[in-house]
Amino acid sequence: MILDRRTLLAGGLALAARPAWAVRVAQGLFVTEPARPLPDIDIRDNQNQPAGVSTWKGKPTLVNLWASWCLPCVAELPALDRLKPIIEPEGLRVVALCLDRSGAVGAVNTYARLGIKNLAVSVDYRRQAGESFGAAVLPTTLLLDSQGREVARFVGGAAWDGPESLALLRALIAGKPVTADMAPPLVRPTSNP
Amino acid sequence: MLRRLLALAASLALMVSTPVWAQEFSGRFLLETHDGKRVNDETFQGKVRMMAFGYTFCPDVCPTALSTMAAALDLLGNKADQVVPLFVTVDPKRDTKAQLKEYMSAFGPRFIGLTGTQQMTDAAARAFRVRYEIHQPDGGDPDHYTVDHSAGIFIMDRQGRLVVKMGHLATADEVAERLTQVIEGENR
Repeated sequence: MILDRRTLLAGGLALAARPAWAVRVAQGLFVTEPARPLPDIDIRDNQNQPAGVSTWKGKPTLVNLWASWCLPCVAELPALDRLKPIIEPEGLRVVALCLDRSGAVGAVNTYARLGIKNLAVSVDYRRQAGESFGAAVLPTTLLLDSQGREVARFVGGAAWDGPESLALLRALIAGKPVTADMAPPLVRPTSNP
Repeated sequence: MLRRLLALAASLALMVSTPVWAQEFSGRFLLETHDGKRVNDETFQGKVRMMAFGYTFCPDVCPTALSTMAAALDLLGNKADQVVPLFVTVDPKRDTKAQLKEYMSAFGPRFIGLTGTQQMTDAAARAFRVRYEIHQPDGGDPDHYTVDHSAGIFIMDRQGRLVVKMGHLATADEVAERLTQVIEGENR
């Protein structure tokens, strides 16, 4: 069961009521200005074939960074799995990039457990994605234009197949500028998926 | 009398000149591993230690600190044998030993999850000057609460002395470099 966290302010929100000493992580949609190319790290599919940044050019791409030990990541995978067949025919590539140390094994096991049908296995082979893409927390989802440049990122979990998300992603497909007010609502898991 | 006053003044000066850090950070702990073994800071004598505090149930976003620690160990190659990576849960109620064990396995066989009673956990957090706060749930599932905690990666030398606390945004390269310095004894 997913519960909406409708506390999102445009452009993201530093979690309210956190004491000063605690880790503060701003969640929500952040526009990457100017758009920046991603470093071409070693990403492979479940056949151990290259499936990295250079293969994502030519159409806009959503890259979701996740790990099997990350509860909110695992919780949003089914929404991404439902999103893929809706949005890919419209021109958006959907990539779920697994940062697990166990590589494809972790991804395949999690997919099996969740009944994931549409997402392909992509593995951050040398576990560089967090650092190279500047993601200090998971889940983080990068939105890339057709040149493979990051134009925005979403930090935290989202209902990726929801209407707000679809509007955002359709703007990305159309090559329209992504703005902070297009943020889909944050979601958080309420139980262990 | 004067001598006594001078002695008192001298001891006061000593107290004042002692760094606050050294006064407050003891690095002592008594906890249980995810395999149920009772351990303390002396258990790992002779090994370089890398330690983080946290909890496995991250409801919003999960920090990648343990992933960074695992990647740093991989960068060390054979030298990683000289490092004990430790993770102390600040949420012992939900982080059972079984849960910790499973979580640790995601980061590699070297990782040791540490837990204990609330009292033991509180004492360990105090000894490392780690603060945490449990937010009670608004309603519904009583097990659904969040824990704020101060993040970072502690590196201790073979005698258990704190060398550095690295920020939660430290990269694997930076952590590996500090570990290498400590392993090779260049830390002081």
